[in-house]
Amino acid sequence: MTFRPLTRSIREGIRQLVSRPVYLTCLVAVPLIFTLFFINLMDEGVAMRVPSGVVDLDHSALSRKVTRTLAASQYVDISADYESFHQANDAVRRGEIFGFFMIPSDFQKNTLGQRQPTITYYCNMTYFVPASLMFKGFKTVAVTTAGGLVQATLVNTGFVGEDASMALIQPVSMQIQGINNPWMNYNYYLTNSFVPGMIALMVALITAYTICDEIKRGTSVRLMHQSGGSVLIAVLGKLIPQAVIETVVGAACLAIMYGFNHFPMHCPAWHMILAMMLLVIASQGFALTICCIIPNLRFSVSLCALTGILAFSIAAFSFPVSDMYPEIGIFSYILPVRYYFLIYADQALNGIPLYYSRFYYIALLIFPLTGLIGLPRLKKRMLKPVYVP
Amino acid sequence: MFPDPQNINDMKSSSSNGISSWFTTLFKVWRREYSMVFSDIGVMLFFFFLTLMYPVIYTLIYNPETVTDIPIVVVDQSRSEHSRELTRMIDATSSIEVYDYAPTLDEARRIQNEHKAYGILVIPSDFGKKIGRGEQATATFYAEMSLLLRYRAFVSSLTDVQLAMGAKITQEDIATIGLPGQSVSGTPINSEAVMLGDPTQGFASFIIPGIVVLILQQSMLLGVTMLAGGSSERRRRNGGIDPKAVPAGPMATIFGKTFCYVSLYLPICIYVLDIVPTIFHLPHMGQLSDYMLFILPLLFATSFLGLAISVLVTERESSMLVIVFTSVVFLFLSGLTWPRYAMNGFWTLVGDCIPATWGIEGFIRINSNGSTLAQETHPYTMLWLLAAIYLICAYLACRYLYPSRRRALRPGI
Repeated sequence: MTFRPLTRSIREGIRQLVSRPVYLTCLVAVPLIFTLFFINLMDEGVAMRVPSGVVDLDHSALSRKVTRTLAASQYVDISADYESFHQANDAVRRGEIFGFFMIPSDFQKNTLGQRQPTITYYCNMTYFVPASLMFKGFKTVAVTTAGGLVQATLVNTGFVGEDASMALIQPVSMQIQGINNPWMNYNYYLTNSFVPGMIALMVALITAYTICDEIKRGTSVRLMHQSGGSVLIAVLGKLIPQAVIETVVGAACLAIMYGFNHFPMHCPAWHMILAMMLLVIASQGFALTICCIIPNLRFSVSLCALTGILAFSIAAFSFPVSDMYPEIGIFSYILPVRYYFLIYADQALNGIPLYYSRFYYIALLIFPLTGLIGLPRLKKRMLKPVYVP
Repeated sequence: MFPDPQNINDMKSSSSNGISSWFTTLFKVWRREYSMVFSDIGVMLFFFFLTLMYPVIYTLIYNPETVTDIPIVVVDQSRSEHSRELTRMIDATSSIEVYDYAPTLDEARRIQNEHKAYGILVIPSDFGKKIGRGEQATATFYAEMSLLLRYRAFVSSLTDVQLAMGAKITQEDIATIGLPGQSVSGTPINSEAVMLGDPTQGFASFIIPGIVVLILQQSMLLGVTMLAGGSSERRRRNGGIDPKAVPAGPMATIFGKTFCYVSLYLPICIYVLDIVPTIFHLPHMGQLSDYMLFILPLLFATSFLGLAISVLVTERESSMLVIVFTSVVFLFLSGLTWPRYAMNGFWTLVGDCIPATWGIEGFIRINSNGSTLAQETHPYTMLWLLAAIYLICAYLACRYLYPSRRRALRPGI
């Protein structure tokens, strides 16, 4: 047994990779640019100072005080005053603001007369991130305004001091700690999941493309001949150079995130590099399986593209699998990037012992094996290439 | 046999039936393009299957809308009436479920590490005592942060519990102290939050109206470039001539093809923009006429953009490699997940050049907020502007960017 067919096959694989710029563009440039794009796009981390408005129907000392408190809030940017609800609502519909805070007429009079006026705030929930921040800002102002007034009243009665009055207003306080991302930094949250998603997508596309392109062009017969009739060697010749390139690119993306941009990483770096390497190999295995089932360039690449794009949603980067319909959620388990995401959450984000993530690493190892099962079928098609346009 | 575009221009000025022959060519291109689309399974897959299935698949993924019963672990060191009440109230919220009790924080973390829980509530030993003494009692909640949707659900539920339990205790305290009840009988100011557009704060209601517009753009781009790739392959096989293309000038070709694509997409738009939100009971406020008129320039701009980048496509399948990943980029540039006001000038500008950015913005507001077309003047104007710009790009690309002059005479893009 010599390694000559394999080295020759690898050399052939490298030659194919550099034969057209599109391959290296997809494998090298796209993941790196995408990583930089994400990090730069969400540079701020938290989309503070949501454009919003105030409708002050009272124009009293108290209402102005509330407006000033709003203006000082870190969450909202009060960009306009509106005369009426309709004017403000029109601005929301035009997209000028994401919501507004409305102080009713006779606000001060009713407050001092203890007739409980109602402050209403409107948040445009069609945009989740700004609306959530705005809601937080508005609610804080509404609650603290009320709380401040109660405290003043209580202290004025002379029965209780300032500390005790605070306990009386808010007897139970809930401290909510977001572990390892207390800033709710969106960049950490999205870049960590979408960059591997993109790498998995690109690896799968190029794998399917380079294998099935041989069948489309009818060159697969020659390739099989060069590989000594072994489909495994023919396929490995393509997959090994691609896996090496993409693992290096993936590690570079990790370096950009955790090294240069100081994303939280609470595990030794090799945990993530290993996960990235396995993700690359698993995505190749995933694409190879598709190629074996449908050895046709257009359909296998289409299928890789369609599943790769759906993976961003089904792998549950934002909406948890446990809350999806089980019939849909089950598909998350056949996507390599899902396991990478779980490893990331365990290792880089939460820094728990490797032991707890063991099954995810093993799951990633299963994908290449499924690819191997279908190889005989691919072999048949590679020896008798038929191109269906 | 293949008239030079230059000649066509000459014909326009010299002969009286130049205009009508130009229109005849346009209609020929238009009609031929239908047969091109319907004879290509790959293109039909993108134009019809993708637009029919993807909105449904995406809605099915996100249709449960909200996160419910997230398991948490409670470390109750107080073991008092009040700590038990707090736990019961938290368990009773729709988004949180108490999975287990743990004696220590370490034990709770072990349960969380085994992925059985996503949050830990620690009630300190003096919790009950402090409430009894009339001091402020504090409980700490540690949230796992891999999904922000869970964190959001934790924060809103726990805040509600804190307010509800607090109000109850305050009332009891006031009665005991014997304060004039009126002074603090409730809060002096009520507040009310109104959620516009997506009142249930559901995830599908939030993301689907934006995604469907992006699907329209991307599926059309994929189909158009795939047709161009096929034509390019035929040209390569036939010595620079695409036998299936109708010989026509650049403008007639561009408009003929665009009319074909737009006419195919109008019924698809009714399905995607009107029927899908209706069958899934997503927010659906706007007028059909408003959003159909609104989406029209998006279709034109997308078709022109597709034809402009077509010159770069040399193979049927390679367009997929390039266009597929842009879907994610365009989704983010549109500001659906990360708001546009927080982007820097460069990315805002790049986003401005994508039809879907304006399409998503305008359609969401028409669909979910019930805006009228008149209120969406800005995105609407921008869409027509993009259509004009990409028309010029497509013309220039088609006229000058073909690899050789010989092929430029046969612009079957």
